[in-house]
This record gives sequence, structure tokens and C-alpha cells, in this order.
Amino acid sequence: MSAPKKTEATVRPRRFRIHGLSDAREYMKTGHLATLGEFFVLYEATNQDLPRSTVVSRMETVLEAMRQSVSQGLAHANTTRSGMIDAGAARMDRFLAEGGSLLGTGFSTVVRNTLAVAENNACMGCIVAAPTAGASGVLPGAYLTVADNFQIPQSRIVQGLFVAGGIGECIALQASLSGSQHGCQAENGSASAMTAAALVSLFTDDPDAIESAAAFALKSVLGLVCDPVAGLVEVPCIKRNVMAAVNAVASAEMALAGIRTVIPFDEVVQAMGRIGRDMPVSLKETSLGGLAATPAGLHIAEAFRKNAGLDQDA
Amino acid sequence: MAIFDVMGPIMIGPSSSHTAGAAKIGYLARCVYGKPVQHVRITLYNSFAETGRGHGTHMALLAGILGLHVDDARIRHSFALAREQGATVTFEEVLDPEKHPNTAVITFTDAGDRHPFVVEGISVGGGAVKIVGINGTRVDFSGKHNLLLVAYADVPGMMGIIGDRLAERGVNIAYAQISRDRNTRAAMAIMKLDQPCPDAVAAELKADHHVTDVVTIPRLGVEYERTEED
Repeated sequence: MSAPKKTEATVRPRRFRIHGLSDAREYMKTGHLATLGEFFVLYEATNQDLPRSTVVSRMETVLEAMRQSVSQGLAHANTTRSGMIDAGAARMDRFLAEGGSLLGTGFSTVVRNTLAVAENNACMGCIVAAPTAGASGVLPGAYLTVADNFQIPQSRIVQGLFVAGGIGECIALQASLSGSQHGCQAENGSASAMTAAALVSLFTDDPDAIESAAAFALKSVLGLVCDPVAGLVEVPCIKRNVMAAVNAVASAEMALAGIRTVIPFDEVVQAMGRIGRDMPVSLKETSLGGLAATPAGLHIAEAFRKNAGLDQDA
Repeated sequence: MAIFDVMGPIMIGPSSSHTAGAAKIGYLARCVYGKPVQHVRITLYNSFAETGRGHGTHMALLAGILGLHVDDARIRHSFALAREQGATVTFEEVLDPEKHPNTAVITFTDAGDRHPFVVEGISVGGGAVKIVGINGTRVDFSGKHNLLLVAYADVPGMMGIIGDRLAERGVNIAYAQISRDRNTRAAMAIMKLDQPCPDAVAAELKADHHVTDVVTIPRLGVEYERTEED
């Protein structure tokens, strides 16, 4: 580094105040921080008044829980009491093993692992809500699969999770991460943007590339509604995790190819918030519209209400 | 918001509000009650009542009451766990537009007690919860602070006594609330503390003849959620 290396004390304000990604990038520049991931490590340590090492070790715990959520979801054929989940990840695993992949095994592994975690969530397995339980398959499914494919060292994977968390924070600050407020664009859309940014951060520190990947991913899912059948986190949530994961990889590849977003990420987020506010309540996690209100959806909801017991074991 | 609010919690699915939040309400209710559970009645309101079955809300509330954390795989087996521990449980589902959409009222009864012990909690999203009632007294706490709850017969000077006892041991009060039941004149002080309440303070307050009950709850973050571990 040509600039004199500043000590943490001179770089760190008492508290970081950001309104979005552009503020974070500004702090990065003035603080001579090499990466966005490092900025968000400092951001969390400073604002939560925690030692840097504590913040990093917490993210290592998150990473380990994400890894376990994949292996747990692949360990057995996942089914739920509604009957809507029928061993999707297990079927995808077989398809992969039998050489069925249309675009190579990497792509199918992203699909399989995303299904595994999203199904594990629906089956009351342990997951990391990143940013929500309903979108918990996206980061482990896409980000960890690619990271492991390239044998990225653990410390770099952890840094990427800070990029993901930082992008999610920027969305939370300007809009929301909640389906009941802004629809699925805020849940799987945010997860997709977080994952795209994290993926790019594995291969370049260029903040323009990271910002563009996040923007591409979110732009492509603007307007996506939250319409869960029977109010359960199953249909269409699980397949939308897969869509968000695949979208994240495509967005990351475009950014790594040097394509840059026309609309700045923060403005995409603000557009998402406006769209979410314009969205009718029937399409925001109330199960009153969309797929939940189809004849098939209503039929499943009715049957489930009649038959569901309180105790899964019983 | 914090990065670990985005990247977490580590939890049993499928829903942060209806599963993780429910388990956390149960857990806080257990902490407030502070005794082994003999019998518990759990009343689920509104969205908890309508969609709880599909989200494991009943299992999660019970699991929390039995002491399980939000990431404990045994949440789905909480009914069996209750039977093993000799605790009995009944459920009610109620629609009441006056209540928050995700409300649970947990009523503990014990053969040795004259009155049931009632804790009301709400799940406010993303796994965050609030306890809003204890035995009919309005309260408001989330488990994000170290807590000291003091129930006492309403007399002047109690806040001063509590503050002095804490100050003598260097414990700082971040927030304080007092509420009083108009009819019974039973009062409750809720102190949110920067440090955990020392046992000695709880013992000294218990010895005061105006005080009927003292409960201390360390902030949930440190050991409750794995993302919060140091």
C-alpha cells in the first residue's frame, strides 16, 4: 500500500452513520480501507461496541451454521405436513448424480443446495435467517457452493459474508427486508442482491463490481409479490429461493465481466421500497392474493386447516 | 439495525416471527416465572392462532417454556419433552382484534400457588419479541438488556432503594419503568441494566418487607442466540 497505513484509532469514528451503500463506500475511501467487507467488519464492531475479533468469530459461527443447514437438508428426503414439499433436494441430488445437469454440475449443485436449505427450513431444521428464514437457502446455496468450488480460504468466505450482511443492512436502512412490508422482492430479492455482492467479493475488491452485482440482482426481481399458499413458507417460497440463487450467480458473472449498473444500488433499493409501498396488502404475506388465492392453493389451505395437529410428532 | 440482525438469527425454521419469536416469548416467560413448570395454558391470538400450526408456533412456544433456545433441534419434539418433564399443557386459539397480530398469553399454574402466573408476549418481526404483560401489569421489555424485575406493595421510595442497591455494586440503570395495578396497588419496577444484576442485590431487595417478588434475567444475547456468542 502506498498510502501510510493508518491505525484503527485514526480510521474509526465513534459511530458509523450510513444511509446506504454510497455512504459505506465513502467511509471506505476516507478510511483507506481496502475492501467493503473490512468496512462492514469495522462498522459492526464500532456500532455494536464489540472487539473486532468477536465480530469475526460470530460470522464464523454463522458460516458454520450455514454449512450445517446444507448438509442437514441433504441428509434425508424432506417432507412437510402440508404435503407440498416432497423430497425436492433429494430428487435434485439423484438427478445430479445421474448426469442430468443441463448446464454443468456447478449450476445443478447451486439448485440442489438451495433447495436443501429452504426445505430444511420448512421442515423445522436449523438455518440462518439471512436476511429472513423464508429466503435462507439463497446464500448457502449459491455463495457457499461457488466458494467451495473455487476452494476459497475460510477467512475470505467470512469477509464475503460481511459484504452480504452490509448489502442487507443498506436495504434495511432504505427500505425493508420483510415480505409483509414489501413483498418477496424484499426477502428473496434482498437475499439475491446480498449473495451476488458476496460472490463478486470473492474474486475482486472493486466496489463498482460489487455494487453492480447487487443492483443487477435486485433490479431483476422488483415487484415480486409474497403470496404463500396456506400461509406456509413452502409454495412458492422454496423455488423462489432457487430463482434468487441462480439470479445471484448470473448477476455476479455480469459484474465480473465488467458490466456496470446504470442505476446506482441505493436508488434501486429506494425503488424497491416505493414499489413495496404501492403493492396491495393482498400480496404482502397475507395469503389473500396471488398463488395463495388460486383454487389449488385454497384447496390445500382448507385441507391443512382441517388436518393439522399441534404436535409434529403425534 | 446490526449486521447480525441481517445475518441471523441462527434458528429452527420455518418462520422468524412465528417459530423463533414464539420460542423466545416462551423462554422469556419461563425466566419471568422462574419455577419448574407444572401446568401451562398457552393462548395464541390472531395470526399465531390462524397460521401457527403450519409454522410450529405451538411447539416453539412450549419449547421456549421448557427452556429450549431458538436454534435447538428439539423444538419439534417439545410435546414429548413436556411429557418427560411431567409438565402438562393446554392450548387455546383466540381471534381478538384488540391484540397484536402475533400475541401469546402464557398462564402457569402450580398446585402450591393460590393464583396463576400470567405472562403476555408479542412477536414483532425478525425474531424480535416483547413481553407486554405480567399478571395484568403492563410491561415492555425484550430480553436485549439485563433485567431486574421487582414486584412490591406500592410505597414511596422503592425506586430509590432499588437504585441505591444497584449503585452500591456499580450497576448502571439504562432504562427504568414502573407500573401499578390501580385496584390491588401491586406495583412492579422493571430495571434494564448495563450489567447483569448481582445475586446479592436480588437477595437484599427480597428481604425488604414491601417486596413480594424479585426476578433477574441476564440479557438473552450472550448465551441465547449463537450469533451473539462471544
